[in-house]
Amino acid sequence: MPQATNDELLARWKNEPAPLLPLLHAFHQRDGYLSEDALRAIAKGLRIPIADLFGTVTFYHHFSRDEAGLDRPRVCTGPVCSMRGAEVLVASLRAAGHDPQPMPCPGRCDQPVPVIHGGTVLTGRTASTLVSGPSPLPPAPPGGIEECVFAGIRNPGRAGLAGYRNDGGYEALTRAVTGMTPGEVIDVIDASGLAGRGGAGFPTGRKWRAVADAPGGPKTIVSNADEGEPGCFKDRLLMDHDPHGMIEGMALAAYATGAVRGFIYLRYEYPETVDILEGAIAEAEAAGLLGDGILGTDFAFDLRVRRGAGAYICGEETSLLNSLEGKHPFPRNRPPFPVTHGYENLPTVVNNVETLASAPPILVHGAEWYRGLGRGDHAGTKVISLSGDIARPGNYEVPIGLPLAELLHDWAGGPPSGRTIQAVTMAGLSGGFLAGADLDVTLDEPSIRSKGSFLGAGGIMVFDDSRDMIRVTRESMEFFAEESCGKCFPCRIGTQRLVERLEGDGPDTVEAWVDEVTDLNQVMMKTSACGLGQAAPLLTESLIRYFPERVREHVAGPGGSHGPAMKG
Amino acid sequence: MMKRNGTPATNGARLTMTLDGEKVAFTRGETVYEVAERHRKEIPTLCYDPRLEPFGGCRLCVVELEGARNPVASCTTEAQPGMVVRTRSAALEVQRRILMEMVASENRDTDVDPMHGYASQEMADLLDRYDARSGRFEGAHSGTSRPDDDNPFIKRDYENCISCYRCVRVCAEQEGDYAISVMNRGFDTQITTEFGGLLKDSACTFCGQCIQTCPTGALGDLKALANREVPGETETTRTICPYCGVGCSVDVMTRGEKIVGVLPAMDGPANEGSLCVKGQFAFDFVHHPDRLSTPFVRDDDSGKLRPASWDEALDRAAGKLRKVVKEHGRRSVYGIASGRAPHEAAYMMQRFIRAGLGTNHIDNCSRA
Amino acid sequence: MSNPLADMDKPDVIFCIGTNMTECHPVAATRLKKALARGAKMIVADPRKIGLAEIADVHLPIRVGSDVSLLLAMAHVIAREGLVNEEFVGARTAHGEDFLKHVEQYTPEWAAEICECDPADIEKAALLYGGADRGAIYYTVGITEHICGVDNVQSLCNLALMTGNLGREGTGVNPMRGQNNIQGAGDAGALPNNYPGFQKVTVPAHQEKFREAYGREVDLEIGMTKVTALDLCGDGIHAMIIDGENTLVTDPDRHHCEHALKSLDCLVVIDIFMTETAKVADVVFPATAWAETDGVCTNTERRVQRLRAAVPPPGEAKPDWWILSQLAQRMGWDGFDFGSAREVFNELCALSPIYAGLDWDRIDQGEYQWPVPEEGHPGTPRLHEERFENGRGIFKMLEYRDPEETISDEYPMWLTTGRRLPQYHTRTQTGRSDGIDYLLSEETLEVHPDDLARLGLEDGGWAEMSNPRGCLHVKVRATGKSPKGTVFASFAFEDVPVNVLTGGGYDPVTQTAALKACPVALKPVGQPPALGQVGSGIELGRS
Repeated sequence: MPQATNDELLARWKNEPAPLLPLLHAFHQRDGYLSEDALRAIAKGLRIPIADLFGTVTFYHHFSRDEAGLDRPRVCTGPVCSMRGAEVLVASLRAAGHDPQPMPCPGRCDQPVPVIHGGTVLTGRTASTLVSGPSPLPPAPPGGIEECVFAGIRNPGRAGLAGYRNDGGYEALTRAVTGMTPGEVIDVIDASGLAGRGGAGFPTGRKWRAVADAPGGPKTIVSNADEGEPGCFKDRLLMDHDPHGMIEGMALAAYATGAVRGFIYLRYEYPETVDILEGAIAEAEAAGLLGDGILGTDFAFDLRVRRGAGAYICGEETSLLNSLEGKHPFPRNRPPFPVTHGYENLPTVVNNVETLASAPPILVHGAEWYRGLGRGDHAGTKVISLSGDIARPGNYEVPIGLPLAELLHDWAGGPPSGRTIQAVTMAGLSGGFLAGADLDVTLDEPSIRSKGSFLGAGGIMVFDDSRDMIRVTRESMEFFAEESCGKCFPCRIGTQRLVERLEGDGPDTVEAWVDEVTDLNQVMMKTSACGLGQAAPLLTESLIRYFPERVREHVAGPGGSHGPAMKG
Repeated sequence: MMKRNGTPATNGARLTMTLDGEKVAFTRGETVYEVAERHRKEIPTLCYDPRLEPFGGCRLCVVELEGARNPVASCTTEAQPGMVVRTRSAALEVQRRILMEMVASENRDTDVDPMHGYASQEMADLLDRYDARSGRFEGAHSGTSRPDDDNPFIKRDYENCISCYRCVRVCAEQEGDYAISVMNRGFDTQITTEFGGLLKDSACTFCGQCIQTCPTGALGDLKALANREVPGETETTRTICPYCGVGCSVDVMTRGEKIVGVLPAMDGPANEGSLCVKGQFAFDFVHHPDRLSTPFVRDDDSGKLRPASWDEALDRAAGKLRKVVKEHGRRSVYGIASGRAPHEAAYMMQRFIRAGLGTNHIDNCSRA
Repeated sequence: MSNPLADMDKPDVIFCIGTNMTECHPVAATRLKKALARGAKMIVADPRKIGLAEIADVHLPIRVGSDVSLLLAMAHVIAREGLVNEEFVGARTAHGEDFLKHVEQYTPEWAAEICECDPADIEKAALLYGGADRGAIYYTVGITEHICGVDNVQSLCNLALMTGNLGREGTGVNPMRGQNNIQGAGDAGALPNNYPGFQKVTVPAHQEKFREAYGREVDLEIGMTKVTALDLCGDGIHAMIIDGENTLVTDPDRHHCEHALKSLDCLVVIDIFMTETAKVADVVFPATAWAETDGVCTNTERRVQRLRAAVPPPGEAKPDWWILSQLAQRMGWDGFDFGSAREVFNELCALSPIYAGLDWDRIDQGEYQWPVPEEGHPGTPRLHEERFENGRGIFKMLEYRDPEETISDEYPMWLTTGRRLPQYHTRTQTGRSDGIDYLLSEETLEVHPDDLARLGLEDGGWAEMSNPRGCLHVKVRATGKSPKGTVFASFAFEDVPVNVLTGGGYDPVTQTAALKACPVALKPVGQPPALGQVGSGIELGRS
């Protein structure tokens, strides 16, 4: 097939909604990088100032600006993969004649070490043993504990429309559009206690109602599938094995709020998921479940996939909206919130994949059913992505309120034999560490917040007693420094300064070191503009709290930051 | 940038909030920062330019808002009825000091010559105010300077950049030129043109607005800086730009008898701080050696123009004009006034013709 | 301008015609860009793909001098589509019905034949402007410097009248004045038909007022325009006093000007540099320059502002008013012993109804836009809010006329002229300011790439450009900014004196020269001509 010309690519996308990202990907794919010529053509075609477009492109990790850049394998060097030999893999790829590039966590912590090459994700430990394959299904819960979003995910054929419908899929949507008012749908979601599963925990029913009530339109539903938090890989699983679950959830949200258009903002690092989602959307459209005249009514919902390009901050909903709109993906100032001023400044629901996927079962089984899935007073379930030094890493849908120890030891098999758990992270990396007695928490926000952390998106990395917590903290902080968008001062400078201090720079007395780091922590937590800068210092704060001796060795001890050699 | 929704004031009722314990009125749409400024609270900020959309980057303007978990940026927070805000507290002052120490830690210089531009002392002033030259948080510096940019107007010394993006925002929001943007992210953030090239090869119109809004001297007025060794105190005089008909207000900077630079007048009614390349940079023709400094008369012998005294020149002109009037009548003299000189020149020219000669043979250069 | 500059970010629809605002009035253009960022739509009618056209929603690349046809067709569409503001037309205008009938014949298809635009685009532009709640028109000398300059302006007024786009925020018919005090020169009475404050010299009451003020008889008839005066040099006009204008270079048909000035018995020039015009004078007086002079100027929005001296002038240079008052005294006339610019300005205020509420001290902060009819009056940022000065807004029945000279086999290309951003006028000031030449150091002729081949020219090569009035050599630059069939050069550079060629007639009413449309022939020349390379030591042009 002859290569598409600039004009053809522009003609294909120019009049589509949210055209910039797909256009950039189209040129990136065609040329193997984003050439000056390509950017000039896009800037002209979309009437974006060329300097803005250039600046925005450089923001994303995965857009290559030099020839054949797309061809270079990208290797995860996140905290878990670093423990699992990312450096060895990089060396082996280099020996095999490649030019491997490090990348932040691409959400395969259950199968380290992932490599993205073109449109494929491979996993393995050496260049010669890299394999591609679907994401692993979740291990079955012990004792047949009832699940919500995972209930049917292990059924064969579930990812296709027929399989999904076989399990009762689209029953919720059918019930809603043929027998319920939008308000009634919202009432059920509200009563279920469902709250944002991407980390912020905002009650879903309230969000939908706010959008339904907001003046102006067209309204938009956005699925936040930019699962960028290191150690989180649940949304990938949901989309790969149960795409219709989320899509039906989006259609329900659209019906409930009066939205007519939707986007799935999918992170770059899930290339195979693009095809899965687009296939599912096409199937649903053909079956009258999306598009115009859904289920024979006048309800219409136009759904598109938009692929990100590698930027953790785009998981922050207002950055995501800016990214969708083709703007520089800095977070917006809030208020106003997306429920009134979202995509194109119009009312918009931004929900996490898991949240959306929870909606159809809730509507079918009822609010009470969902509330009852939680343990004790807690309503519902949460998917936990578990990785690191643990026997059975993977995704677990747990009753909210489950003791952490039960998950770690009973569900996932505990630490490697002969080891004990030194620390775990919470909320991927954003919640910092829990260690010692504070591991005695239950998996719900009140319990975890009482320890100065939070559950967030549900990523938990486990570090056994062989790990150097200074190194773990440094590698984690490097991630935040790398991903800091650069908009606000405390985060932009603070993450950098914390990395330097974890590398062994900074004051050489423990008191002065701790003083500086504590000041940075406090200012970042108190004054940063968004969650990234507010959360990053939880790492250093919890490091100082749980591991004061390691800090003392790091600052004052021989070898400074290098500390005693440890396996890793 | 987000546009704020203007909600009409409710029944004209007075909107009030509590600011540092005092009940104060505000109008719908005002930000907490704007209200506080009106009450002279002197909230520190580095990313704020009143002409631009609030950005919320520097976080120095954070204030305590009752009911909020963290302090909020006053520049991006709209005042709401009943809000209780504290602009100063021990905790806020500590946070601001630490922020200033962090800012100081990323730059090569913390003090620059004021000739850099209108706002160039803002960072240095805040460092003094918060006693933040402690040297704490030492570490890598951010920004890469562009000494390769050979343009004669705009110094691009990004090693002194603090990524407040006022330059980028003024270029986009105030000028509509979009010549510069933000490249990379986090600590690697860099102000850039398209593809990192020279300003000359970009959409830059050299209006100089980026220079004038830069709070650190990362951007500097090269023409003014060339005069930094001129002795004397810098004084400013408010006048109007000598070029097109827009009538931009400028503050001419002088030292002794020399014009050393031009500052845009932020309160200029026609321009509100904007200027173009000519108004900002084309001022030194005034001191050009080609300037006429004496009258000239045409020498009777050589037929060439030669310098003359005022007396001689005025007498010569008057004599010649009288002769023309005598020979051809008063209607044979014509006056052309300038569209570049002040009213008084044009008025005096028409007065000369009308009151002196009694004709209407007067025009100006607008027909060409 | 009918409306203040502050209104420029308020329209829903902006119609710019004959104005290259981003280069000639850059600071005003920033306000339009803000309106666009807010979501306003913009129509730009200009032969060239100027900066504004790049950001416009509709660009109408009209053939130079064809404005009236376009504007008639827009009026036709507005009328046909029922977009006429009946209430405004009924309440505030005259001859509205006649006008609507008049434009019935002028379809976009008819206009397209003349202005060489797509009729669909004309339609689109008309619907945009006609459908606007707040539509604003901006123009510059691209409208006025034609033989039909007045018709052009009146066509714009017709559009504004029929849509009611006058007298409200974000509307108006707004000329952008090109020089810092060109408005003020008129305000101050430097016009053959008006006393200060636009008081007509033919009105007996005005005559009486100035008779008394100046203590002498006054002429009862209007004076001649500069254009006529130049035509009559040596034949009725025998002396001229020229202040701060390089007539030789900026006026059309340079050879004619040169001849005229040399025919005078006496030429007195007041300037800050030894201009080409000064060089042919009998006496040259050195004037103080900007930043050396206390005074007053009026901007394009009628805002009266103070100029202040910041440095002393060189040598014996003196303010223009001082020079003229001294000269008057040497002429033996009384009443010219002014001691300061303040005294001069205050006399102007006392004699001018539009300045009646002003004086030197009151304008200190520049907050007044005239008319300011009495002390305490806040000034008038927006004209025509309640009523038109002369009662009703009158529709004019206009017809299209060809330029005086049109292209032919012999002179097949249109030359149009204008300015460029970094250089002002003939570079007397910008050319003597360090650094400006870095941005623009030489003039080039902008030629459409397709014309290049047709004319045998080369990008970067040299061309000879000629017509019956003259001939010059200019370096060629190929650019899509020029439409096919039209070339452009600025009049900034002395070695490309385009006004050797311009001069194809004048507007019959205002006698404004047709500087914007002029047929020329182009042919390649091998070598750069010896005359006039930049910086060759030849005196820079002025004005």
